[in-house]
Amino acid sequence: MSEAILEVNEVTKTFGGLVAVNQVTMHVERRRIFAVIGPNGAGKTTFFNLVTGIYKPDTGSIVFDGEAITGRDPAVIAAKGMARTFQNIRLFGSMSALENVMVARHVHTKTSYADALLHTPRYHREEQRARDRAMELLAYMQLDHRAQELAKNLPYGEQRRLEIARALALEPKLLLLDEPAAGMNPQETEDLQRRIVGIRDDLGITIVLIEHDMKLVMSISERIAVLDYGKKILEGTPEEVQNDPRVIEAYLGPGAAEGVQ
Amino acid sequence: MKKLLQNSAFLSLLIALSAIIFGYWLLQNPRSTLAFLLTLGALLAAFMLDIPRWLKVLVGGAILLLVVPMAGFKNSFLFELGVQTGIYAAMALGLNVVVGLAGLLDLGYAAFFAVGAYTWAIFGSKQANQFMPWHIFPLPGAYFYLFMLVAVVMAALTGVVIGSPALRLRGDYLAIVTLGLGEMVRVLANNLDHPVNLTNGPQGITPIQRPPIDWFIGLFDRFGIHMSRAEAYPLFFYFLVLVIIGIVTLVNIRLDRSRFGRAWIAIREDEVAARAMGIPLLPTKLLAFATGASFSGAMGALFAAKQLYVSPESFTLIQSIMILVMVILGGMGSIPGAILGAATVTILNVDLLKTASDYLNDLRNAGFVLDLGIFKYNFANLPNQLEPAKYERMVFGLIMILMMIYRPEGIIPERRHLAEMKEKA
Repeated sequence: MSEAILEVNEVTKTFGGLVAVNQVTMHVERRRIFAVIGPNGAGKTTFFNLVTGIYKPDTGSIVFDGEAITGRDPAVIAAKGMARTFQNIRLFGSMSALENVMVARHVHTKTSYADALLHTPRYHREEQRARDRAMELLAYMQLDHRAQELAKNLPYGEQRRLEIARALALEPKLLLLDEPAAGMNPQETEDLQRRIVGIRDDLGITIVLIEHDMKLVMSISERIAVLDYGKKILEGTPEEVQNDPRVIEAYLGPGAAEGVQ
Repeated sequence: MKKLLQNSAFLSLLIALSAIIFGYWLLQNPRSTLAFLLTLGALLAAFMLDIPRWLKVLVGGAILLLVVPMAGFKNSFLFELGVQTGIYAAMALGLNVVVGLAGLLDLGYAAFFAVGAYTWAIFGSKQANQFMPWHIFPLPGAYFYLFMLVAVVMAALTGVVIGSPALRLRGDYLAIVTLGLGEMVRVLANNLDHPVNLTNGPQGITPIQRPPIDWFIGLFDRFGIHMSRAEAYPLFFYFLVLVIIGIVTLVNIRLDRSRFGRAWIAIREDEVAARAMGIPLLPTKLLAFATGASFSGAMGALFAAKQLYVSPESFTLIQSIMILVMVILGGMGSIPGAILGAATVTILNVDLLKTASDYLNDLRNAGFVLDLGIFKYNFANLPNQLEPAKYERMVFGLIMILMMIYRPEGIIPERRHLAEMKEKA
């Protein structure tokens, strides 16, 4: 088994004339917390969409857990153990919190059509197991008291947590979090920070996150990649990234680094 | 008064009483449309309102299994109404899976009805001798039950064949393509009388075998009820439809509460998120499509046996739209809604509009003069273009427009759809 769970090799994606992701190479080691940062429009979310199969790369290859997944269907990639959350929360609003999590148990249940129609013992067994596991995960994200609530009625912070619970229901090896702290207050962010570390430590899941909250990024990430205009301009430890003039310029514009120093 | 209406005991009494009174009235006047509607109203109230379960079952059973059949003996039109409602209700339930749960707009749904109907029509009549050796056709009526299953399979396969290309599209595009493919099935039925005569073309196929009912007549004989074959068939089909509705409803509920139901709703709500959660798009959509199709196929076979005759005319686009209207009227995704929608549209269609037309006709023939002092109108001058029965589609159009304005979630909205509607508002 290779050290890296995710290997992205020279991946490019263009939309018309816009090169959204340009020759990006990124290797994520197992059980790491890996952050992708960069200014707005740098191609971070596009990068996630490429990795999860929502977009197909124009060139380059993506290897997940030792298996080439370039251009595969998102559902297939998800079933292989890659889960994600979305920048603009995409819960199934009209389903309860519990049902939302149960949807992601789909790939872990083998109840056939006939089982579901005839209510065979397997149906009852698997349905119960899916429900139990979903409740466990809701409890893990401290949402168990909200199980029967419709997802869309939950407050914002809880919706973000529910998205993570739903992603965890896939029993992923790799979890991609797209701006998990967006819109959270400092206390919620701190709470989230502990949870992310917990998910890695308790469940052994590798985490890649996109985030704008630099305090969060710098305190939990072990490696950080910086994207700017679709290109990876730097990868390193938080200390290396923090002190690199290229990063400051990417955020504040050319020449800004001198002013800071 | 409001408090009284919230009292379950009072409500129960009210419903039980109205069921008895209206039921008795219908038995005394089997031809009274008003009595029939009020009886159904009592049934609906029993279902909708908060009363004990045993009373719901009692009222439902008494009306559906006793009052309607007994009144039907004196007015067999009630059976016709019941069977038609049942056929449409089962189809509405099938389309409900496709449109309501999975959110796939299908405008070619009547095609599967046609497939089911022709499946039994061809082999349950002499038609199959045209292209099969042995000359053993028509098959005996007892094969009907087997062929209902065959019709289910054939319709589901047709669903997969039509769905495989069509379901790669979304929304309006899917609607247009299913419309086209659905029409293709009808056109095929219309033209497959040569080179090999499969469907007998526009003339249609008749007579078609019916399932044998000697056992059914014998059963009633034992209780001292003697029926001729002609009397027994409508009753038999009525009961058969009730049984099928029961099965179809159960299937619907069970799918809704399984991983498949959840996957369909997830896809309806957000395809991208559903795929990211490991739900394969095309297979899941195809499953919904084939499930809906199979309900329609089963009812097609029943339709063929009941009518004794099938022709391509019965499977037009208007049929598909009617069934869609039933689903939307009742409330998308809602199981009781689909049944109520089917009942409303069918009763309006085959009973109410005709009754209203007949009533106007009577007034005209009698030369009735409406005198309101300043306004005088002699009904003898009423042009016969004004018969409500001729405005069937306009009436449905109006109903749909009013529904979309005042109650877009349908008469009996489904919890999840209601949530979605409110979200958008």
